[in-house]
Amino acid sequence: MWKLFFVFLLLLAPPRLPAQTKPPDADQARILGLENAWARAVKQKDISALQMLLVPELVYVDYDGTLMNKAEYLSSVHSFALRPQRIVNESISVRLYGAAAVVTGVYRENGEKGGKPYVLRERFTDTWVRHGESWMCVSSDSTLIGQ
Amino acid sequence: MRAAGFVTALVFAALPFAAAQNTGDSAAVSNILALEHAWDQAQERGDVKAMAAILDNSLVYVDFDGQILNKAGYLDRVKSNSVHMQQIISEQMSVQMFGETAIVIGSYREKGVENGKPYVRRGRFTDTWVLINAHWMCIAAGTTPILH
Repeated sequence: MWKLFFVFLLLLAPPRLPAQTKPPDADQARILGLENAWARAVKQKDISALQMLLVPELVYVDYDGTLMNKAEYLSSVHSFALRPQRIVNESISVRLYGAAAVVTGVYRENGEKGGKPYVLRERFTDTWVRHGESWMCVSSDSTLIGQ
Repeated sequence: MRAAGFVTALVFAALPFAAAQNTGDSAAVSNILALEHAWDQAQERGDVKAMAAILDNSLVYVDFDGQILNKAGYLDRVKSNSVHMQQIISEQMSVQMFGETAIVIGSYREKGVENGKPYVRRGRFTDTWVLINAHWMCIAAGTTPILH
């Protein structure tokens, strides 16, 4: 329950400054926090938390080229066959364009799938759009890179 | 330079549509799809000037092998003599609008010659466009090989 509460706080916490004077760093920090919350939610299969981070129209391209909508993505996270044990985001950068932000980084995940260990290392690009005082992810795509 | 002229014409012809985005998303969608097709054509021709006109200077491009490139790096790759793209066809393109941000997804088939060897690739792409000074500019593009 605390995880959901954490994401809720990240999404709805009022800014310390009015939006017009809020420095870009505040939005970058907020979005980085949301990216980390996303990784935690995937590891813990916290679908409620993910629901709050992703727009209903989400476009998700998985590392193998599979195109998913939000429901399909949440179903893939929820899958009993997939048991991520460790998820780490690295080399993340956030670029702001007014009400849009592009996040790039490297995502490392290891765990078990269908009883077999797996390791993934992917380059990801996420696009976030401002919703009121918070941000929601509208698209995410990833491409496999070498270990 | 015909291709450059073509894309430049598209960009400027699209201006009134971009400025009038409030009249509906459909004009913006048409505009962005036209720019995507112009990008494909410019790629086939290796027309760097045309591509430079529709890619924001802060572009982040993730290639099919996971390599991350900035705008200069991407254009250098297109110019490279080691890769000669002969054809690229975008398919099943769709545009999702989020105010002044647009997400384009689609799949593509590409064939050409790299380091003297023919290649064929099939992948999924995700492009992010934002309205900057009444121009739709691509700020991020990612490609993912379709492995199934």
